[in-house]
Order: sequence, then structure tokens, then C-alpha cells
Amino acid sequence: MINCQTFRANIQSRDADVLEHLHKCDACLEYAVSVDPDNFFRAIGGEELVPPGGIDAFASDVMSQLRVREAEAPAAKRFLVAPRRLAAAAAIIVAIGGSWFGYERANRPVAAPVIAAVRKQPLTTKPVVETYQSQNATIVEMPSQGGSDANVVMIFDDALPADL
Amino acid sequence: MAAELRLMIPTKESIEIDDRQLVRTIREGDAEAFEMLVRRKTSKVYSLCYRIIGNAEDAKDISQLVFIKLWENLEKYDAAYAFDTWLYRMVTNVAIDFMRNKHSRDNAINSNLRLVKTSTDAEQGVVVQRKEIESVFHAVSSVLSPKQKTIFVMSEMDDLRSSEIARILGCRESTVRNHLFNARKLMQQQLKKRFPEYSRLWEEKQ
Repeated sequence: MINCQTFRANIQSRDADVLEHLHKCDACLEYAVSVDPDNFFRAIGGEELVPPGGIDAFASDVMSQLRVREAEAPAAKRFLVAPRRLAAAAAIIVAIGGSWFGYERANRPVAAPVIAAVRKQPLTTKPVVETYQSQNATIVEMPSQGGSDANVVMIFDDALPADL
Repeated sequence: MAAELRLMIPTKESIEIDDRQLVRTIREGDAEAFEMLVRRKTSKVYSLCYRIIGNAEDAKDISQLVFIKLWENLEKYDAAYAFDTWLYRMVTNVAIDFMRNKHSRDNAINSNLRLVKTSTDAEQGVVVQRKEIESVFHAVSSVLSPKQKTIFVMSEMDDLRSSEIARILGCRESTVRNHLFNARKLMQQQLKKRFPEYSRLWEEKQ
């Protein structure tokens, strides 16, 4: 370390020697701060600090944490792989199932029985409304083509029965 | 004999080469080499963390996190650059993240207590106590943003040049100088408020 005289002569310099002296010499600290107040905080640096418990304990802590992480990593990877495999299997099942369902639907004779069933239903006649009176209904009368045509009347009313 | 001795003194360059060799060995899967690297860099990493964070236990936890990240990301290190620059970048990133996430109430309470205590000493003469400087720094730097504080620590305490800090933080040199200027200004305001006896050092200079 440089002596106090050399330090004071070169105080403006930011050489490593000058800083080392600033970090270590209490006698020159006050002088350095009076010359340049920024030396106040600059005086903090210098010595390298050691974590609580020492470097050995710190290093072994780091290494044990790494071992734990390394041990956990393959397990984590296994869990990551499983959903991917499941998704792939599900996609295959959906594809096969979908194509089978499509094939089945395309070849199924569905139209004829449905029509037959509809035809089998007995025909029913709806009641004929001859007179209708209401305060809220909107009644639209369609013009008839001739004397033999039935008069078509459209009635819009919330109170009207649904099956009419 | 003198020449031989000089050859044995490790220069900064030779240490740098050693770091790179060590990294190469670690990449080949040598965990012992990594432990050697941890031992070699612990003080450097911990000192920077402690000065940025200001708490020994938190600094220790953050330092451990830095080494774990280092292990996980060692493949990304480009040997064309100095290892310490890369290491410092990792330290500052982790420390800044930590500072951003932590709004410690304790710090605020302690700062207020210190304000009450020290302002009564304002009329006494300025006696700079080395052991006090660090606690003064932690009190007044609490108003700085994590990035401002990191830059201030690297510049003033680790004596890194603006260009080096810019390389570490991945920003422009002018940005570093701006942060430094603002950090000094804010800290002087805080000194005036909380530690008027020290604030007078700057006032007398002006």
C-alpha cells in the first residue's frame, strides 16, 4: 500500500493504489472527503466481503441445492413428457373415432324410415276460427283470388293458444 | 530468478484465461470445477450483492441464486467476452429483480429512526467515521431505483468505468452517466434531510 504522503499527493487519481489507501487508511479518510466529498461513499469499497458462515459453507450450500435441482429435473421432465403422450394418444383416438363415425353415418339408410314414420301419423284437422275478438291482436287479412277461395286471415296475439 | 518470479505472479489476463478454462471443464460435466468456480467468485458476487441489497442474509440468498442461474445458463456464455462481465451481468439482473420485488417496510422504519437520531447531532463538527459510512449509504440510497443503486455501487465502490458498466447492463454509456448523475443528486438531497452533518461536506465544497 502507498504511504499517506503519496496518497495525498495523488488524491485526484483513481488508480488502484490510491483507492486501496482510501479504503484502508482512516487517517486519510477525512482529508480525502474534504478534498472531494464523493470520496465519502467511495471509501466503502475495497475489501471483498464474505457471506455469513464463510465461503466453504456457502459453496457447499450451492452445490447441495444444485444436486437437489438435478435430482428433481428428470422427474419434472417425466411429468412433462406424460401429458404430451396423452395428448398424442387422445388425438389419434379422436381421429380414428371421428372417421369411423363419419363412415357409419354416410352408409346408414336413415332417410326412408323417418319419412315412413312421418307418413304413418294420422292426419288431424285444426279448429277453424270463425270469429276472433281481441284488444291487443294484430289482424292481417290476405286478399282472396276469387269467390271460391277461402278468406285467409293472419292473427298475431300473445294470448292466442300455441297449438292453434 | 526475478524473471521467473514475475512469471509466476498471476496477471488479470491469466486469471481470465483460467476462468474460461474452468468454464470449459464445467461444460464437459465436471461438477468439482463448478465448485471451484463458486469458491473463486463468492466474495466478488456476495460483495456486490451486499452493497446493492444492504442486507447480509438477503445478499447471501441472492448470491446463491446467482450461482444456480450460472450453472443453468453456462451454455450461453460466450468465451469471446470476459467471464467477469458476464457474471456481473447475472448478479445485477438478479439483484435488480430482487430489489424491484421487495419493498421492505423495515428499511423505511429504520431510516426514519435514523433521521430522528442523527438530526440532533447536526450542530456538531463533521467527523467522518468509516463504520458509519456504510449505514449512511444504505439509508440514503433507499430512495434510488434498483438500477440507479446498482450503477452507483459499481461505479463508486467497485470502481468500474462507465463503459464497463454499460457493457454489463447492456445499455449506453450515456444512460449510465445519467443514472449516476441522478443517483448522486438524490443521495445528496437525502443526506441533507437525514444526515445534515455529512451533507455539509458537499455544501462546503460548492
